[in-house]
Amino acid sequence: MKRFFARNAPAYVFLLPWLIGFFLLALGPILASLYLSFTRYDMVSAPRWIGWGNYEYMFTRDRRFWKALEVTFTYVALAVPARLIMALGVAMLLDKGLRTIGLYRAIFYLPSLLGASIAIAILWRQLFAADGVVNQVLAMVGIQGASWITDPDTSLYTLVVLAMWQFGSPMLIFLAGLRGIPRDLYEAAEIDGTPRWRQFTRITLPLLAPVIFFNLVLQTIDSFKTFSSAFIISNGTGAPADSLLFYTVYLFNEAFKFFRMGYASALAWFLLVIIATFTAIAFFTSKYWVHYENERD
Amino acid sequence: MTKLTRRALLGTIGAAAAASALPATPVFAADRSIRHYWWGNPERDKRTFAVIDTFQKKNAGIAVSGETIGWGDYWTKMATQTAGRNMADLVQMDYRFLFEYVHRGALKPLDEFVGKSLMIADFDKGPLDGGKVDGKLYALNIGSNSQVMVHNTRAFKEAGIDADLINWTWDDFGKVCEKITTKTGGKMKGSDDLSLMIETFESWVRQNGREFYGPEGKVTATAEDVASWWQMWTDLRKAGVVRDKNKTVILDPPIAESGIAVGDTAMSHYWSNQMVGIQAVAKDKIGAAMVPHKAGGKPGQFIKPSMFLSLSRDAKDTEAAIAYMNAWVNDPEITGILGLERGIPCSPKVRAALAPKLTEVEKLSVDYFTAIQSKVGPLPLPAPKGAGEVRDAFMRIGTDVVLGKMEVAEAAGMFIEDAQAIVERAQ
Repeated sequence: MKRFFARNAPAYVFLLPWLIGFFLLALGPILASLYLSFTRYDMVSAPRWIGWGNYEYMFTRDRRFWKALEVTFTYVALAVPARLIMALGVAMLLDKGLRTIGLYRAIFYLPSLLGASIAIAILWRQLFAADGVVNQVLAMVGIQGASWITDPDTSLYTLVVLAMWQFGSPMLIFLAGLRGIPRDLYEAAEIDGTPRWRQFTRITLPLLAPVIFFNLVLQTIDSFKTFSSAFIISNGTGAPADSLLFYTVYLFNEAFKFFRMGYASALAWFLLVIIATFTAIAFFTSKYWVHYENERD
Repeated sequence: MTKLTRRALLGTIGAAAAASALPATPVFAADRSIRHYWWGNPERDKRTFAVIDTFQKKNAGIAVSGETIGWGDYWTKMATQTAGRNMADLVQMDYRFLFEYVHRGALKPLDEFVGKSLMIADFDKGPLDGGKVDGKLYALNIGSNSQVMVHNTRAFKEAGIDADLINWTWDDFGKVCEKITTKTGGKMKGSDDLSLMIETFESWVRQNGREFYGPEGKVTATAEDVASWWQMWTDLRKAGVVRDKNKTVILDPPIAESGIAVGDTAMSHYWSNQMVGIQAVAKDKIGAAMVPHKAGGKPGQFIKPSMFLSLSRDAKDTEAAIAYMNAWVNDPEITGILGLERGIPCSPKVRAALAPKLTEVEKLSVDYFTAIQSKVGPLPLPAPKGAGEVRDAFMRIGTDVVLGKMEVAEAAGMFIEDAQAIVERAQ
């Protein structure tokens, strides 16, 4: 015990700010929301215990809950691979050892900093509006663009494009991963006359697997929690016709617009279950496709 | 070859800039302070901040901070503040939401102040009573209004329209739309597509002889009411005489983006007090028409309190808040600044004082108000809890109809079912 503390004390000191924040600010509300998820609570009068009522309603009677799941899963399935491919692509371009690499890294990271902001969401809405910039550019080459944002068939894709554009943080992580791959492997492959594509599939991808895995988990969790851009672009309601009814947007509406804090808490806990399940799946399958360099087989 | 228009580009840049600059009134050093929260538009905000300045000059010890936001986001922010027990002392209230907020215990009754610090004895009784719930006064009327079809007088004149715009029917309306669209070669459509406007739809239900919400808050509108409404607009849309469907499905757009403001359409549905704000952003002179009648039907329109001022549960310095409230409806300097922008005031004294100084558009709204007095029905009962959610459902399901993704009859049945379930669940 003593040895444990002696060894880990510095780590805990560094963790202290986070730990204090967690116990003071996060743990209480988390436990409270678990309790509230079994109540009917309108935030003004006291919560009333209703047992599994909220969960029952959610699965058996709430059509919009299923719609929200459909929208969110579609988004995750499209946005995560799109963003990762984009991030890896740009990272490989930047891995060429340019002298101004620092500058490029900063520039390409910029959208990620801005991406979650309200201003960008508003900007996005304008870009993809029926008479927005995107359609005007398309019109120049003679294409009649759709009304991207207001058409339920296309609105979700504009958000996938937005997600793709925010490739900054996985890109930086990929870049660090690429830097870690020993150059001599490529040199050896070069001497053997291995084509570029095979170098990519046989050297880059396998050695990058741990980083890909890390990014995949992080981005999946992130995508399930997408909120502000969807909220702004859909006017806070999931419009048009619930095509942007992200799970979090639905949850927010239930809680803060319709005063059903108990039901919203139940929704939040179910989201936790979903995210935990996906993360668990990723971890369990990882042993079949992720290999760590210093691992002994 | 088309070019990237300056407007689209500037608009895009402007939005990015505007997102970071939200207005806020500076709070001066003062012992007492109150917060006032309202939904607004540029014109209303200008007037309200002027009122705040005036009030502060006259009441040196009280600082008022104003918070304003568009209607589209107003209720979300309000609900968040209610939940956080951080409501502004004075909140602007709407008839549709009054009942809901009172029943959640978010507002304080005003009765104890009436006659002491809130002087409203000589006000019109009808409009004043609109702020009562269960016999108690929870909301002070700061203006009355009614539905209006705002129209572009230049477009009407050029198309040679001579319909009686107070007594006209939906048939006349359709013909007017057609004439205007033909005359302008489709550049300007006859009207906004009102498929998603539950406010206008409620008039439609009343014209059919029912109320949307009956006694005890039950949904009494029928699927036929909804289907006939959406069918009429579907026909007009197919005829190409109303606004483009992609513009229609943008929910609660700001006034400056309405069809009448940007010149896409010759008619838009609004509340009569909004005409001041619309004229401020519209190029052409606007006029006022009633919501078309159903031939042989009942009156659909009604005169309602357009806005209230309510005292929130979280108000600390109630004395200062009531002093501010009282000044709003009585102080001649303040009522002079407010004019008719929030609706027709219910104090006869204030109205008399305003009469000689009215601007052209304010005069238009007074004349309109006088003209419709005998054509309107009684004020409907306050909407039940869940009415805000029903409004969302109407727009959501209506969007599928407008975009042609759902059959009218199916959608109408689905909406009534949803509306009933929402109201039932909210109780």
